[in-house]
Parts: sequence; C-alpha cells; structure tokens
Amino acid sequence: MNARSIPRLARGCRLYEDPAQGWVLLIPEGVLRLSGPGPRILQHCDGACTFADIVCQLCAEFGAADRARVETETAGFLERLAARRIVVLECIA
Amino acid sequence: MIPRPQALIAELTHRCPLHCVYCSNPLAMQPRAAEMDTQVWARVFHEAAELGVLHVHLTGGEPALRTDLEKLVAAGRAANLYVNLITSGAGLTEPRLDALIDAGLDHLQLSFQDVEEAPANEFAGARAHARKLALAEIMRARQIGFTLNAVLHRQNLNRLDEIVAMAEQLGVDRLEIANVQYYGWAIENGEKLMPTRRQVDACVAGVRKHQDRLKGRMRIDFVPPDYYARYPKACMGGWGRSLMVVDPAGCALPCHAAGVIPELRFDSVQERPLRWIWEESAAFQRFRGEDWMPEPCRSCDRRGEDFGGCRCQALLLAGNAAATDPVCSLAPGRGLVDAVIARANQDRPEARTWVYRIDPA
Repeated sequence: MNARSIPRLARGCRLYEDPAQGWVLLIPEGVLRLSGPGPRILQHCDGACTFADIVCQLCAEFGAADRARVETETAGFLERLAARRIVVLECIA
Repeated sequence: MIPRPQALIAELTHRCPLHCVYCSNPLAMQPRAAEMDTQVWARVFHEAAELGVLHVHLTGGEPALRTDLEKLVAAGRAANLYVNLITSGAGLTEPRLDALIDAGLDHLQLSFQDVEEAPANEFAGARAHARKLALAEIMRARQIGFTLNAVLHRQNLNRLDEIVAMAEQLGVDRLEIANVQYYGWAIENGEKLMPTRRQVDACVAGVRKHQDRLKGRMRIDFVPPDYYARYPKACMGGWGRSLMVVDPAGCALPCHAAGVIPELRFDSVQERPLRWIWEESAAFQRFRGEDWMPEPCRSCDRRGEDFGGCRCQALLLAGNAAATDPVCSLAPGRGLVDAVIARANQDRPEARTWVYRIDPA
C-alpha cells in the first residue's frame, strides 16, 4: 500500500447496512460484520480515491489529529482484506 | 436462544441437463409439476430476510432451466439478499447472463467436472465442458463475483495442478476444490469415487501450496474428503444453526440430504411461515443444540466446533441419525468408515461403469 494505491471492493463483494444487524460486508459464501471506522473506510473505496485521499477524508470526518495513526490503521485494515481478495489495490504509475 | 440463519439454499428445480455421477440431489426428486412459482419464491425470500438471512443461493438441479430466473434474481435483491447463482452453465447464453446481472445477480458459481473434456463429459453424463469454458470466458469481463467449483474424486484427483492452472488462466476470483461427499448419487458410485490415501495426502499438500502461491490473487477454499479426516465436518454449520434448504416443492430442510432420515417430516413453506419452520418445526429442532447428543459427543471439547458431524452420514453409515458421525475417530462406528477406506486402498481392477443421475418427471 502506498499513497497512490487505489483500493476498491473486489467484484462479488458488497457493503450493506442491514436494519437489524448493522453494517456487513457481503462476500462470496460469507459475511463480515463491520464495526468502528470499517464501513466508513470502505465507503471511500470507490475505485477513484487514492489511499492518500481516503486518509485525508477520514481525518476530516473523525476530527483525527494523529494522521500517522489513521494511515497505519487504515492501511492495515485494507491490506488484511486485500490478502483475502475482498479488496483490490490498484496502483497508478 | 435460537440462532439466526445466515443463508437460504433455494433449490429452484431438480431438473438438470447434466447427470453427474456424484450429484448431491436426493435420489427421490421433486417433479416439474410440483415446482413453486415466482410469487411464492419471492415471498420466501422476503421471509428469509426478515429472519436474518443475508445470502440466497439459487441452485438446483440447474436453476437456469427456470424461465423466470431473472425475476427470481430480482426478487432476491428486492429482499436485500446477496444473490448467488450455482450453475452448470447450461442455458446461460451471453444475453441471458447479462439479463441476470442487470436483475442484480451478485455472484456466479460455475461447476467443472474436470480440466479435460473427455473425462469431464464422462462424469457429467453430458457434453457440457466446452460450454462451461465459453461461459467462463464471458465471465472474465463481467463485474460480478465469479467462483469456479471443481469436484474431485478418485478419477481426477491426480489432475489438481491442472485444475488450479485452468482457474488461474480463466481469471476467477475464487476456486472451490471440493472433494465428493457421499450422499445421494455419490453413494451409488462410491467405489469408483472414493480416493486412495496417497491421493488425499497429495491433494491436501497440493492445495496448501497453491493457496500460499496465489494469496491475494485467487482465494482457494477446500472441502476435504471427510472419510479420511480425524474429526467430522461441521455439517451445514450445525443442524438448524445457520443454513436452511428449501426444495423445489417448498419442503424446508436443515440439510440437502436430510430426506434420507426416515423419522423426520418436513414442513412446507407453502403451508407454514418460514420463521415458524426455522424456530418451531420438529425437523429443525430435532438435532439443534446439544441435547440430542450421545457420548462421546456430549462431553467432547469439540462439540461446539463440529456439532457431532453430519446427521445424514450417521444415518447412512450407522443406521442411526442420532449417532456420532462415524467419520469421527472417537465414534463407535468409525470401523464402518475404515472398512470403506481399506477397500479403496486395495489394488483391484476397476470397472468404469457409472450410475448416472436421472432427471425427475
């Protein structure tokens, strides 16, 4: 992951807010229950925003002063999903 | 507390142009005349969503034989479900596939019988392989999820590497390597399907190698052949715990194969609300939780993990659905499984005559 990576949900993966169960990520043969900033992070993964854009937006939305921490935690979250082929990281040259 | 089901398996029809030698459909299938119509299925999808279900798996038989499949996909999405189509590819032309995608299909799972055309068609009892490859090529450019499911057994386990290579070449997101499970038609062909110990060991090691190599590029899910396992599978994620099957006529079952258990009577979604069937019907309560468990399950540390294994397998092998799954190394009936395995590992001449799945009326 670097500032110019563009994360997006892999095909077949969909964010959904269930009225009873809250935010979930629907994936082939499974469901991931999301909490904390998870849904917000994934809403920004629209295939257009770079990782740097997303961190910027999250800092603004959560009023976070510690940008380095937001960056580390967001990268960790997205990389774990990328390892499971739930998020795809595209790189621009 | 009664758990919430996560997925509904909707068997839309038992009709199928393929005749796979290990088909998991019951030997006694529902005829076309008994199939439920679009409106009833749409109601079932809504009732399922209200019960907490998030996924609907449209399966069969071959679900694409339903001329209202587009409407059923749309009905699933209208109920806010994730819609997965489990198909052999038969009847899915490019325009039809695009109509299903437009209707909201989230994911398509395409089954393969082999990597080579001749054995693939032999196991399917139909000339299906070339059409599957053509559909997989079309799927490459589509923006919905795509899983390739490959069924492995004695006659094709040696081609694991080639099957993984085919999936890579086709650019699928997810590969399911599923060893045959012994229910329905697979039991009829058991001797010709049961792998050897050497094949199973090579397959387990091979799958692990490919999983590591393809991490982040393609997900590989593995269904091992449970006769060779030390502990049983958590069949259906536990009886009446996370999955529900509705057959073409509306009978709701805790497992595809549950019809083999003679003591059970299954309620129909045409007569009862889905919630009542899930929460209160006798069939769903019969093996839910731990009260039904015999020893060694009752005091076993793993009972919350594998739920005593598979009730249908217990019935089929030990003649008692309430027995510990004989696959378990701790089960009194393990000798029954060991005898099957011993036979599979003997050198013996093999006839390749198959019992093919027939089509319902």
